[in-house]
Amino acid sequence: MVSSSNRLVFGVSILLFLCLAIFPWFGLPVYFVSLLFTVFMFVTLATSWNLIGGYAGYLSFGHVAFFGIGAYTTALMMKGLHLSPFWTILSSIPAGFVAMLIAMIVGYPCLRLRGPYFAVVTLCFAFVVDLGIKNLDILGGPEGLWLKSPDLPIETIRAILFEAMLVTMMLSIMLAYWTSRSKFGAGLRAIKEDEEVAQTMAINAPRLKIQAFALSAFFPGMAGGIYAYYLTYIHTDIVFDMMISILIVLMALFGGGGTVMGPVIGAVLLTLINEGLSTFVKAEFARIIYGCLFIGVIIFLPNGIMEFFKKEHRVESGISLAENGGNRSAA
Amino acid sequence: MLKGTNITKRFGGLVALSEVDFEVQRKEIVGLIGPNGSGKTTLFNVISGLFKPESGQITFEGAPINGLPPHKIARMGIGRTFQIVRPLMDLSLIQNVAIAVMYGRQDINTLQPALERASELLKFTSLNDKAHILPGQLALEDRKRLEVARALASKPEIILLDEVFAGLNQKEIEGAIELTFRIRDEFGVTVFMIEHVMKAIMGTCSRVMALHNGIKIADGDPESVANDPKVIRAYLGAGYAGR
Repeated sequence: MVSSSNRLVFGVSILLFLCLAIFPWFGLPVYFVSLLFTVFMFVTLATSWNLIGGYAGYLSFGHVAFFGIGAYTTALMMKGLHLSPFWTILSSIPAGFVAMLIAMIVGYPCLRLRGPYFAVVTLCFAFVVDLGIKNLDILGGPEGLWLKSPDLPIETIRAILFEAMLVTMMLSIMLAYWTSRSKFGAGLRAIKEDEEVAQTMAINAPRLKIQAFALSAFFPGMAGGIYAYYLTYIHTDIVFDMMISILIVLMALFGGGGTVMGPVIGAVLLTLINEGLSTFVKAEFARIIYGCLFIGVIIFLPNGIMEFFKKEHRVESGISLAENGGNRSAA
Repeated sequence: MLKGTNITKRFGGLVALSEVDFEVQRKEIVGLIGPNGSGKTTLFNVISGLFKPESGQITFEGAPINGLPPHKIARMGIGRTFQIVRPLMDLSLIQNVAIAVMYGRQDINTLQPALERASELLKFTSLNDKAHILPGQLALEDRKRLEVARALASKPEIILLDEVFAGLNQKEIEGAIELTFRIRDEFGVTVFMIEHVMKAIMGTCSRVMALHNGIKIADGDPESVANDPKVIRAYLGAGYAGR
């Protein structure tokens, strides 16, 4: 039964992936391609963040740093190595690894802190990287970096980047799916619940947390690399924008932390709602509606939108629950 | 198999454990008693690596373990339960146990076999019909059984039981005594238990140690420790010691 439902999920995912993949080649306005590109980007960011924030319960408010580091790494490689457009896309992969390496170095001391202390320290980390790059002239400093765009029509470039971001997103979701049913994910869940108990269950919590943090930085680094190429101009105020950090956390928790689909749903919904509001509603009302939406979800679905589906699901397993209640009163 | 010499643990100016020696032999059931605040749980925390002792040496099967992180000590085969039960609240009983199975010492690394093993352990602790509910819905007795199942899931050589009997009624204590024997006999696990319930101590332990203000004041068979004037003085005050 499990394997057949697995196969169904797998099949639907492949189909969806193909539908999305052919989307930019129909000559639709670039706007839609760009919108979907943004959606994919935030799905990647929120899904990756979920590893450390949702599963392990360590709320990182500095994830934009990995995104920005990825963007700058790609930009530097592009400029320094005079890469052709094709290689530029692939250079987002080493950008992911750079982000991962930095996550390991930063995570080693930071992950000893818990709760709000960890959140604050990661927030500061993002500020430090931002300020550091602003003051380094080889990285463009306060002027930012201009990247040379290849001699291709804008539609083609956007379409290529669209595909690159789509693949990155799919890979990050696959990682999340694997995590959700692996020993690794189970260990992270135990850490989230009670780290001391997890350790007495022979879980190597320090190592697992660093692994989760490093993995959660990899795809944001890649996404940053692709985004750099998409913008062709990068500046610390854009790629280290604190709003991105906050949005990542909100999206993941809005959808449901610690679930595979939660961050995906959260990122898709919030990006689309945000876009819709800024298109159809006056700016000042848009913010109010956006804010009310958050308050509503936090009050009624504190564990995210996924909770709604879980509640449906619990009715199914409710039979065994009722049986247990009966047994206890009988005993 | 588990031996401690000269263990001292201080919290600031408070000496929680003062030069405590202990030894547990394989397949023994050893009790650890003492009034509140005498350092019993502190000793367990030191053994399981949650606290680092200021001085002293703990060896397990001859290998020194003091200073190792808790997960390494657990990995070597020292399991424990917590006095104030600490289940992973958002995970069902079977998930609680299955995670411990996967990270334990029995080479089960994937979810499905771990769930099967967890289900056997829940059966052993008579929790199998509650496998899929959350620990929050359990009564205290069952939560304590869950602690035991989770500790056994790592396949330990020795298990440290921290007041598994406290707060249970007479009938439940009978059940817990039986469970303690079955832990030793069916799993071959040595038991080192903190207990206040004298009925449980007398019913299970082959040897009892008593702590008072961080100092070991008695060590011997349950009968003689229970009648030791020093132990009685520690619990009831000097006036009762001479009787």
